[in-house]
Amino acid sequence: MRRFTLIAVPYFWLLVLFLVPFIIVFKISLSDTALAIPPYTPTLDLSSGWEGIRGFFAALDWENFTFLTTDDLYWKAYLSSLQIAAISTLLTLLVGYPVAYGMAQSPDEWRPTLMMLVILPFWTSFLIRVYSWMGILSNEGFLNQFLLWTGLISEPLQILNTNKAVYIGIIYTYLPFMILPIYSALEKLDASLLEAAEDLGCSRITAFWLVTIPLSKQGIIAGCFLVFIPALGEFVIPSLLGGSKTLMIGKVLWEEFFSNRDWPVASAVAVILLLILIIPIVLFQRNEQKQREAEGQ
Amino acid sequence: MNFRLLSAAATLALVAGMAQAEEVRVYNWSDYIDEDLLTKFEEETGIKLIYDVFDSNEVLETKMLAGGSGYDVVVPSGTFLQRQIVAGAFQKLDMSKLPNHKNMWDAIEARTAKYDPNNEHSINYMWGTTGIGINVGKVKEALGDDAPVDSLALVFDPANMEKLAECGVHFLDAPVELIPAALAYIGEDPDSQDPDVIAKVEPVLTAVAPYVQKFHSSEYINALANGDICVAIGWSGDILQARDRAAEADNGVEIAYNAPSEGALMWFDQMAIPVDAPNPEAAHKFLNFIMDAGNMAAASNYVYYANGNLASQPMLEEDVIGDPAIYPNEETLKNLYTTSPYSPKVQRVVTRLWTKIKSGT
Amino acid sequence: MAQTVFAPWEEADQKPLIQFKNVTKRFGDFVAIDNLTQDIYAQEFFALLGPSGCGKTTMMRMLAGFETPTEGQILIAGHDMKGVPPNKRAVNMMFQSYALFPHLTVAENIAFGLKREGKPKPEIEDRVDEMLRLTRLEKFGKRKPHQISGGQRQRVALARSLAKAPKLLLLDEPLGALDKKLRQETQFELMDIQEKTGTTFVIVTHDQEEAMTVASRVAVMDEGQIIQVATPADIYERPNSVYVADFIGDVNIINGHATRAGDGYDIAYAEGTGKLHAKTTTDLGNEGKCALAIRPEKVSITAQKPAKVTNAVKGKIIDIAYLGNLSTYHVELKGGQMVKAQTANTRRLERRSFTWEDDVWLSWTDTAAIVLEG
Repeated sequence: MRRFTLIAVPYFWLLVLFLVPFIIVFKISLSDTALAIPPYTPTLDLSSGWEGIRGFFAALDWENFTFLTTDDLYWKAYLSSLQIAAISTLLTLLVGYPVAYGMAQSPDEWRPTLMMLVILPFWTSFLIRVYSWMGILSNEGFLNQFLLWTGLISEPLQILNTNKAVYIGIIYTYLPFMILPIYSALEKLDASLLEAAEDLGCSRITAFWLVTIPLSKQGIIAGCFLVFIPALGEFVIPSLLGGSKTLMIGKVLWEEFFSNRDWPVASAVAVILLLILIIPIVLFQRNEQKQREAEGQ
Repeated sequence: MNFRLLSAAATLALVAGMAQAEEVRVYNWSDYIDEDLLTKFEEETGIKLIYDVFDSNEVLETKMLAGGSGYDVVVPSGTFLQRQIVAGAFQKLDMSKLPNHKNMWDAIEARTAKYDPNNEHSINYMWGTTGIGINVGKVKEALGDDAPVDSLALVFDPANMEKLAECGVHFLDAPVELIPAALAYIGEDPDSQDPDVIAKVEPVLTAVAPYVQKFHSSEYINALANGDICVAIGWSGDILQARDRAAEADNGVEIAYNAPSEGALMWFDQMAIPVDAPNPEAAHKFLNFIMDAGNMAAASNYVYYANGNLASQPMLEEDVIGDPAIYPNEETLKNLYTTSPYSPKVQRVVTRLWTKIKSGT
Repeated sequence: MAQTVFAPWEEADQKPLIQFKNVTKRFGDFVAIDNLTQDIYAQEFFALLGPSGCGKTTMMRMLAGFETPTEGQILIAGHDMKGVPPNKRAVNMMFQSYALFPHLTVAENIAFGLKREGKPKPEIEDRVDEMLRLTRLEKFGKRKPHQISGGQRQRVALARSLAKAPKLLLLDEPLGALDKKLRQETQFELMDIQEKTGTTFVIVTHDQEEAMTVASRVAVMDEGQIIQVATPADIYERPNSVYVADFIGDVNIINGHATRAGDGYDIAYAEGTGKLHAKTTTDLGNEGKCALAIRPEKVSITAQKPAKVTNAVKGKIIDIAYLGNLSTYHVELKGGQMVKAQTANTRRLERRSFTWEDDVWLSWTDTAAIVLEG
C-alpha cells in the first residue's frame, strides 16, 4: 500500500501537470475560433446533458492541423527552432564542458564553492538576467563601449537583436544545465583510469579522448537534452534579444495566440511542438535506461 | 514582452488580496500615468489600488477573452475595445456613479463612439497620434539638413532607411499601426479592410524591414532617450517622454516628434470595466477619480498625451496644451485618420503579412 | 636436490634492473621517501611491505612515472628515468582499484595498450587471446568489467598490464580487494604467471603474509626508509631490528641487559630471575642493552621443568587463544614479563594439558632467540 502511494505521487504529478493541460490544449486545437469569451467554439456545455456532449464532439475537427501545412511559415519556424536549439546546444557544450572539467579537477574543498557559483545566477530572476544582457549587448552597451575603448573595434558591433544575441542568451541561461550533469559524470571519474591510460601508452590528450570523453558521455547527453529541449520552445530569449528575423516557433505561437487571437491554431502549433519534443525526450529516457542497465542496476 | 512577470504579479496580488478589505485592480499601459495619482486615489477613497502594466493591446485582449483576468479597470485602444465589446468582455457604465463625466470632451466622444456606440462601455483616457520620433542630431548627420523628418518617406523610402539603419531604427511591433501608415504613404485608404489593398503594403514594408533594428512597442522610449537609436515609429506621448528623459539625463540627445504630413493615425485609449470585474463599484470610483479635471491634467502633464477631458485643459501646462504634437491644431486634426478593427479573416492576413515582413518568411 | 637458488643480489656480476640512488621525495614538508638507495634485479618478485604512509606506494609511483623524485636518481635498465613520462616507460602498473575502463570490454581493455603501440590488428588479437588464456578469461573477452566477478576483474587488470610485455610490472596492493580464500589462490597464480612470463614484479602490500608468500625478496619499510631487505625466510628468522621482528609475524620481545658469554650473550631481563642465554653473531660489545626476539612457536610449554634446556622459565597461564590448529598461551613470568607460547593442537580440545591459572614451564633453545640491539 505504501509502495502504491509512493508510485502514485509521480503519476499524479504527471497527470495534473502534463496530461490534463495537454488534453485541454489538444481539445482547443480541434475547435474553431470565435469572437467570444473564451475565443473558440465549441465549449463543453454539460447543462444540456448527453446531447450537449455529443454535439461538442461532433464539432471538433482536424482543420487547424491541415491549415498548418498550407503555409510554409510553420515548418520553417519549426526547422529554424530546431537549428537554433541544435547550434546553441553545441555551443553550450563547448563552453560548459571545460567549466565542468575544471570544476572536477579542482581541489575538493573548492568544489562546493564552484558549484555554488554555477547555481548562483538562478537566484536572480531569469527575466532580469536576460534584460541585463540587453544592457551588455546593445550598441551603446557595456561590451561595445569596452571594445571601443580598447580600440579593437571602431564601430559598435550589432549583436543585440540578431541571432548572435539569441545564442548568447541561450548559452548563458542554460549553461548550468549543461555543466551540472557533465560535472557529476566527471566527478565520478576515477583518476586512476587516466593514470592507467597513460601507463598503457596514452599521452594526456589521447587519454582525455579515449577515457574522459567516453566516460562522461552520459553527462554530455543529459546536458545536451536539458539544453536542447527548453531551447527549442524558447520564447522569452528570442523575443527580448533576437531581432525580427529570428524565426522561432515560440514566437509564432505567440503571434497566433495574441495577434490572431486564434487559440485553436495556436494550440495546434503547440501540439506539434510537443510531438517534436517528445522524440528527443523519449531518446533521452532510453539513454538513461541504457545507462542504468549498463551500470547493472 | 514581460507578460510572464505581469501575470505572475497579478496572481500574487490576487492571492495577497483575499485577506484585504476593499481593492481595485487597474491594468494600464506602461509609462502611462503620474504615479502620484495612484497614492492620491488611495488616500481619497481608502481603497487599495493594485496597478499593473502591459505594453501591447494583444496581451490585454487575450486576457479579456480568456476571462477571469481579475482586473476592475483596463485600458484597450479603440479598435480592440470595439471587438472586445462584441465578444461581451465589458459591462455598461453606470453614469449615475460617474458625476465627473460632465468634464468629458464632446469632440473626442464623437470620435470614440465609432468604437463604443454611445460611449456606453468606456471613457476616454488619453488619445494621440502615431508618428515619427527622431534623434535630431543623428538624423541630420545621416541625411543632411533637409531630411524629410515630417514625412513617412523618412521611414518608408529605402534610400533614407539605408542611411538611417546605421544609427538604428525601431518600428512599433503593431501591424494595426504600421499597415495603415504604409497605406497612407502609398495613397491608399488607411482604414481599408480589403486584403488585396492591404497586400499592397508588403513591398513597401519589406523593402525597409531589413533596415529596422527591432520591431517593439515599448523599448524605443529608452532606446531613443539613450541615443541607441535615431528613429522610431511610435506613439506621440512615448516619444515625447523619450524627449523628456533625454533632456533630464542631459546626455546631448535631442528628440523630436512629428505627425507625418501624409496623415497620421489617431488612436484612443479607453478605460473600461471587464464584465467579470471583482469590484465594479470601486472601478467606477476609479473612473470618476480619473475624470476629475485636476487629476486628468496631472496625468497629461506627466505623460505628454492629450486627454479626452475638456475641463482639464485650463490646468494643462503650456508645453502640453501648446504643443501641436500633443494637441494638434485644426489643420493637423483634419489630417488625422482613425481605423476600424479587422475581421478575424483579415486579421489573419494582416498578422501573416506582418510576420513575413519582419522575418522574411 | 641440486637446484640453483635464484639470488642475483648475491652475485657481484649481476646488473640490477632498477636502481634507486639516494632518492628523496617530499610532498611539501612531508618526507615520503628519505634518501633511499636500493637495487632490484631482473626477474625478481620484489615486495615493498610496510604500514600505510611508509612510502611504499610513492616508490612504486616514482617507478611508474606518476611522481618524480625531489632528489636523487632512478635508473631502469641503466637509463635515468628523469623526465620520462609514464607512457614512454617500459613499465606497466596494475592498479589497486584495477582501473579497468568501464566502457570497454575485457578484450578491449587488454588490447588498449597494444593499440597505442599501433601494432597490426591480427597481432593485437593474438596477444589478447594469449593473455586471456594466461589469466583463464577466455570466456569473458566480450563482457564489460561490471559483468564479471572481483577475482576475474583482478585477472583482467593483470592481463592488461602484462599485455605489452613490460620489463617491469608494478602491482599496487593487487589482491587487496579480494576475500581471504580467493587471495590465497591468486597469490599462487601470480607467482605462476611471474615465473611463466619472466617479468620483473614489484609488489606493494601491507599484508606481510602476502609478501612472504609471493616475493623473492621483501623490503620492510618505515617512514620513508627501507629497514631490511631479505628473502622471506631471512626476514622471519633473522630480522635485523625489533621493528622488523615485530612487523613480521608474532614475536615475544624481552628487553634486558646482555653480557658476553661464550658464543653469545647472557641476558638479564628482570630482578631475581635467572639469566637467559642466546647464541648469536650480533655484536653488542662486551655488554649492553638488548632485545630478545623469540617466535611463539619456538617456545615449548611443559608442566615440569624440562631437563637439558638452555632457557627455562616458570610462569602462570593468563590467557589461552584457541585458533583451531594452534593454541597460543599467554604466560606471565615472574616480574610481569608476558611471553606467548604456541603449540599445535594435535589432541582434541577437551584433552588439553593446560588451563587457565596453571603454573607452567616455558623453554627454548639457545638458537631460538634472536639478539637485537635494544
